[in-house]
Amino acid sequence: MAKITYIDSDGDTQVLTVQPGQSVMQAAVAEGLHGIIGDCSGNMACATCHVYVDEAWADRVGSKSETESLMLEEVFDPRPNSRLSCQIEVSEELDGLVVRLPERQV
Amino acid sequence: MNIQAESTGNDPVYWDPYRPDLAQNPYPVFRRLREEAPLYYNEQYDFYALSRFGDIEAHFGDAEIFSSARSDILEFIKEDIDIPDGMFIWEDPPLHTVYRTVVSRIFTPRRMNELEGQIRDYCVRCLEPLEGTDRFDFIADLGAKLPGGVIGMLLGIPDEDRDLVYQRVSGNLRTEEGKPMEVNKASYQGEGYEDYLDWRAENPSDDLMTMLLQVEFEDVTGTRRKLTRGEVLIFVNVLAGAGNETTSRLIGWIGKVLGDHPEQRRQIAQNPSLVPAAIEELLRFEPPGPSVARYVRRDVEIHGKTVPAGSAMLFLLASANRDDARFPDGDSFDIHREGPPHITFGRGIHSCLGSALARVEGRVALEEIVKRFPDWTVDMENAKLSSSSSTRGWDTLPASIP
Repeated sequence: MAKITYIDSDGDTQVLTVQPGQSVMQAAVAEGLHGIIGDCSGNMACATCHVYVDEAWADRVGSKSETESLMLEEVFDPRPNSRLSCQIEVSEELDGLVVRLPERQV
Repeated sequence: MNIQAESTGNDPVYWDPYRPDLAQNPYPVFRRLREEAPLYYNEQYDFYALSRFGDIEAHFGDAEIFSSARSDILEFIKEDIDIPDGMFIWEDPPLHTVYRTVVSRIFTPRRMNELEGQIRDYCVRCLEPLEGTDRFDFIADLGAKLPGGVIGMLLGIPDEDRDLVYQRVSGNLRTEEGKPMEVNKASYQGEGYEDYLDWRAENPSDDLMTMLLQVEFEDVTGTRRKLTRGEVLIFVNVLAGAGNETTSRLIGWIGKVLGDHPEQRRQIAQNPSLVPAAIEELLRFEPPGPSVARYVRRDVEIHGKTVPAGSAMLFLLASANRDDARFPDGDSFDIHREGPPHITFGRGIHSCLGSALARVEGRVALEEIVKRFPDWTVDMENAKLSSSSSTRGWDTLPASIP
């Protein structure tokens, strides 16, 4: 299991214990977390599971595909550490990962 | 079976998408379905239905089993109609993926929100002439105009023809009261847009029709090519249809639900920053597309029973949105909810392409309405609910303005 910390734009923090193999988006949606939508269930078609990966973890969450990079141009307030959370697969190595939620998804 | 029989506590629960009395307020029956028949089978029209949030969340996005290749409308699935290539909402991967990818990058949150200024101008043009009057019809005065105007603006359909487009789309989805929809090929092959398209091919602009004519993509055979004229026509028809009817329903529900909840309406009028949350709650509370159908490709076991291959499955999104297990006190309307998102735009590869656009239009419409009419009373005597098995909303919703 891995603990993932989600911090929303108001600074409210929620820590989820996540089964490896789930995505950061799936874990949030399963828990009913406010602030991540994920309509397309991980198909990179809706751009509504945008997160900012905490700097300390930037190198450990894997790289972006071409499609993900294109969709990340379509989110609100994209930054260098922006990711679609459906594309980050949770593993034991990501235990402790911190992601920040944008002010809005849509 | 006696069609008129009322469901009572003792009878087995009954629901179908056609009976007008059930369409008026389906929520008590949806609650019974969730509690008594989470996997419901309707013998009369031969379909299954799922109504709990958890079941819909688990299965709706599973395109391996629940196919869109025979459409997402119960009547069409039953007819086993021919579906032309390019009708991407009624396709499975890999065909669907190829076409959806062409349009996914256009209808994104950023691009749709960039249109906000233009959408607002159009909305204001609809509402300004009504200032100072004592009556306002949420459909005739706004719902029938704004979504068609916006999608027409995107596609590049001339202003003067947009009412015609709206009428054709609503006509296609209409059913005779209490009866299933008739299958009509013209409704999905793009008839009526040929002239615009041919003109646009000669006169390229910065609109969506031009983009569809020029875009290059890799088709299922791996060939890099442009869309054919037939494919573009189908795309245009899908986008024009989807962008009209459902958003018009959303505007109607703004009128009805906020008419029924004056206290929350006043809060919104006083504090427009509540508008985005209010739109999300409206989408949860009264989804314009309450149920979506899929064709069951192979046997699947749900709640201990086998749903056989070849069945039709209805996913009752409107019921999932009221499921107390996901949305505490789901039948109450509360714009201050801070829970998980609704499932109105679906899940998975077929989730609504236009959701970002619908949200912008909903927000702009609500802001501009409460700015001018902070108070209204719906005239239910003269309101009329539409008769359609695939969307639910108002054809006419007049309101008096104090």
